[in-house]
Amino acid sequence: MTEVIARRGFHGPSNEEAIQAIHNELDALWDDASFVPDMDRMTFATAVIEAAANIVQHALPVAEKPVEIAVDISVRPTRLIARVSAFNAREPFANDMQASMPDSDAESGRGLALIEALVTTMTFERQDGTNTWILTRDT
Amino acid sequence: MQFSYEVNDSYAEVKSVGRLNMVAAPKLREVVNEVVAGGSSRVVVNLSETDFMDSSGLGALIGCLKAARQAGGDLRIAGVQPQVKMVLELTNMDRVLTAYPTAEAAFGDD
Repeated sequence: MTEVIARRGFHGPSNEEAIQAIHNELDALWDDASFVPDMDRMTFATAVIEAAANIVQHALPVAEKPVEIAVDISVRPTRLIARVSAFNAREPFANDMQASMPDSDAESGRGLALIEALVTTMTFERQDGTNTWILTRDT
Repeated sequence: MQFSYEVNDSYAEVKSVGRLNMVAAPKLREVVNEVVAGGSSRVVVNLSETDFMDSSGLGALIGCLKAARQAGGDLRIAGVQPQVKMVLELTNMDRVLTAYPTAEAAFGDD
């Protein structure tokens, strides 16, 4: 049940390059785990990129050290799991944790609601200046 | 991500190639604003070669739609691929951003 079939990760400064690198890690992960259906790849990759983009756009450093982002994505026999973390980050503002869909003319604020619609479970942990979103999708 | 555009008689076509994520979204806004400022307020964004869009890309499309409508025109999308279709449906934005099979069809009826 907990056997990891394929695993990919990224850890680096929280910036635009990180988003592109995480996209590339996801593509490589599906190459390693070709049995994962297209629909699950598409939905899970979208959720992971949304969570990572949320960190790059909103996470503020807790002190002088800049925010770093880490992603650990694993494929298990019946489940996809991603841990998306912001290191050296302040606790997110309540507004950034808004998970309902905004009005149709809003140009932002859909990220978390979209993640919720894409995954089976989404949990948030904060420990020692690190915010972690744990996303799972049953396949 | 790359954007290019072509102005036709009745509309302007903006072609989006690659991932429409938080990195590319500001560039899409720039290109569409340039097209609209140039006098073409009927805009089709051709997404036939866009295999990924996140909520930032969607936000940019909504901003561009508003810009086109403020200039008296409209913005329509064409060639939507499965992942983009999924994001539009899950956010209920498929009702606001009408998808057409091709850029030619988007303003073909008016």
